[in-house]
Amino acid sequence: MRWTAPATAAVSVALRAERGVRRTVGRRAEDAALATLDAVLASRVGAEAVDRVLASELASRTLGKVLEGPLVEAVARDVVRYGVLERLADSVLDSPAAERVLVRVLDSKLLDEAVRRLLEGDELWLVVDEVAQSPAVTEAITRQSVGFADQVAGGVRGRSRNADAWLERAARHALRRPPAGPPPETR
Amino acid sequence: MSYQGLVTRTIAFAVDAALINVIALVVGVGVGLALSVLSIPHDLEVVLLAIGGAAFVVWTVSYFAVFWSTTGQTPGNRLMRIRVCGENDGAAPSLRRSLLRFGALLLAALPLFAGFLTVLVDDRRRGLHDMLAGTVVVGV
Repeated sequence: MRWTAPATAAVSVALRAERGVRRTVGRRAEDAALATLDAVLASRVGAEAVDRVLASELASRTLGKVLEGPLVEAVARDVVRYGVLERLADSVLDSPAAERVLVRVLDSKLLDEAVRRLLEGDELWLVVDEVAQSPAVTEAITRQSVGFADQVAGGVRGRSRNADAWLERAARHALRRPPAGPPPETR
Repeated sequence: MSYQGLVTRTIAFAVDAALINVIALVVGVGVGLALSVLSIPHDLEVVLLAIGGAAFVVWTVSYFAVFWSTTGQTPGNRLMRIRVCGENDGAAPSLRRSLLRFGALLLAALPLFAGFLTVLVDDRRRGLHDMLAGTVVVGV
């Protein structure tokens, strides 16, 4: 086995050299490619090329194929799965820009006009009628009315009991009878 | 539960009286309108008026007697949270006793309502009609 050692070492050195050369050449090639891409993107030719590609029949057909295919559903699934819409809505609603837009809408005549048209139309009153006649609303109104009537009756009851006590004190005083003790109780 | 005084009972009675009269008025107007389309002789009108008056009396007596003898509470009593019951057993009075109480109520009202004044001085707040019928009015 000893006579094979120089050969093994030579092969190992050769392999290392090969890897080094490949890495160096690869890095150079990548740098060159990126530099070329930068140059193309910065040049007028790059912009023109992109314009032509986008205006081409190929781009249109590609887009049609994409929209026809399952990619749209896959994208929609991922949008839902990762809560993209919620995140987007949170970002938009929390932004000062949204607040500014809302203030402008409220200040504009657009809202007044929309409200005016809504009030003029029959649809709103149909909705109001539907809501007013719904069981939930009628039940709530009934409960509220009963509660109010009960409250009024409770007030009358309290006052009448006070008046009872006052009247009895006055009657006993007029008849010179000793005042009644605590309110009389049944057995 | 405590015995109930004159003001509370008067309010309850006023509510009952209003209810009795409103219902009688509605029925009377309905019957009057129905009869107005018929040509009724004068003599028959007098008879119908007498029947209407008698019906009103029956309606009033029945109202109190039935409510007192069933639950011990008229709608007015229920509103004021009071109840009529026997002074010994605490149960709703019988129909006979309720009728007696109503008669005694009229009797107590005759001498310018003096029969009710005993409520002010009686230890159990009983009116003349309560004493005669053996009932008391208590809070619920």
